[in-house]
Amino acid sequence: MSFAPPDPSAAIRLANDPAFAADATVAVADVSVWFGPKVALSELSCSFGPGVTGLLGPNGAGKTTLMRAITGLVGVNQGNVRVDGRDPRRDRRVHDTMALVPEDEAVPPGLSARRFVEYVADLHGVRARNAPDEALRTVDLLDVADRRVDAFSKGMRQRCKIAAALVSDPRVLVLDEPLNGADPVQRVQLIALFKRLGAEGRTVIVSSHVLNEVERLAQRVIVLIHGRLAAAGGHHAIRDAMDDRPRHVFVRADDGRSLAALLVALESVAGVTFDVARGGLVVQTGQARELATALPGLARDSSIRLLEVRALDDSLESLFRELVR
Amino acid sequence: MTVEVMVGRRRSRFVAIFLYTLRSCIPPKRWAAVLMPCAGALLFGLLARAVDDTRDVAFANVAAEGILSLMMPIAALIIGDAVLGAEVRGGTFHFTWLSPAPTWQIVLGRWLGGALVALVTIAPASAVAAVIAGSSSSAGPAFVAAAVGSVTYVALFIAIGCITQRTAVWSLAIVFLVERLLGAALTGIAQISPTWESRATFVGLLDDPPSRLVRNGIPQGWDAVIRLAIVTAVSLAIANWRLRHIKLSGASD
Repeated sequence: MSFAPPDPSAAIRLANDPAFAADATVAVADVSVWFGPKVALSELSCSFGPGVTGLLGPNGAGKTTLMRAITGLVGVNQGNVRVDGRDPRRDRRVHDTMALVPEDEAVPPGLSARRFVEYVADLHGVRARNAPDEALRTVDLLDVADRRVDAFSKGMRQRCKIAAALVSDPRVLVLDEPLNGADPVQRVQLIALFKRLGAEGRTVIVSSHVLNEVERLAQRVIVLIHGRLAAAGGHHAIRDAMDDRPRHVFVRADDGRSLAALLVALESVAGVTFDVARGGLVVQTGQARELATALPGLARDSSIRLLEVRALDDSLESLFRELVR
Repeated sequence: MTVEVMVGRRRSRFVAIFLYTLRSCIPPKRWAAVLMPCAGALLFGLLARAVDDTRDVAFANVAAEGILSLMMPIAALIIGDAVLGAEVRGGTFHFTWLSPAPTWQIVLGRWLGGALVALVTIAPASAVAAVIAGSSSSAGPAFVAAAVGSVTYVALFIAIGCITQRTAVWSLAIVFLVERLLGAALTGIAQISPTWESRATFVGLLDDPPSRLVRNGIPQGWDAVIRLAIVTAVSLAIANWRLRHIKLSGASD
């Protein structure tokens, strides 16, 4: 079922708005959620459709609250959330087709991974007897299925929760920071799994505060900050926004003064300052890519040895600050 | 990927919730915490032997003031909190809530699991305490009173767990401030109090109850059991209603 706007002009607006999916299964309309004086979500409108959508934002941006509102764990104070046209707070049938992988490490104590997944399968009325084992196999936990899940590492717990979410074969999958605690190999496997689930036509919503992670996962990204929609669209649009903004790059070299003189002559460099405390240069640039290309050649041609190059503000928070400026 | 699907009848939701309650909600530490007040009941049985009175009267006094008014609510609180409130606080309850299982099945399954634990711990401990006290004829009434009182308390504490995250604080306040203090003075409160009604069940089922334990104005014996059944049903109905509107935050919140 698609999210149907009430009037044709709204339909045209929504079709052109990257915050809204063309064939939405999850619709968030003008939603506000507050906990006492703290506003977690403020008049947020967006929608999610088949495929993987990344929910990006710094800590405290409202990602988890949005996911809890979508799954019905918290009610909204204003606006409404619909999953397949149903209110997840009022209609428990929604949970037939939806699953959440929460960020919390908490898992039921005293249960083996198999019993835990079996419990969730029973709750969802899954009839296939081998479904729990298949779900555990999908996340590579079948070998340890009889070990207690509360004795698992963080990454294994996370995979076990993913298995519990997959066992009911949900059409809408909500994953809150699912890659937390996973090692690099597991990350690659889980990313491939989520992409496959999205390609199968499921609505997969994945939150993260790591842009690179979301980039590898999702075709579409929704950026939240302070509970508001900061940006939406393809990850290229988000990345371009990040590349085009002014940046500060820290450079440490064996001959900082000579390098500073060479750098100020570059078109891509807006300014250079000496950072005495850290023993290097802080280069301000509006064209990070050009600087990254030019810097090694410049150093090599002048026989200057580069000891350290790193972006000082290459965090998501700085991107968000830029987006909401 | 080819998956051979074996289709067969899995457990029903209700049975799954009930078994989960027994397997996961009451871990070994909780069992130990439940068994401690039960051991306290046995000590009350020994204490009754030291009272300078007939065995039956001595145990009746100890059971009414110690076992049914102190030990039973505490043990039932440990169980009642474990089967729901602790899970809500711990952030694992949403694995159950985020399912198509009707909330009444969740409430009833949790209550039955908790009630079973109470029935195999609190009720036998109360009966054994009577035997230890040398009042074997009181063992039956003590068993019945502790059984119905504790399962009522489990229902009440489940309801409190659905209403507030501070289950233990509110439950203790209700037991010791509302029931014990106000209930001692106000018959209206005693009529719906699991402590007073389980005492009335016990006293009403004794062959020759001490007159000081008979409280006028509240049902006695099997009538008190019916009253406790009504309190249980109302508590479970409140829990079911609250569960539909519960806000579930994570353990980290």
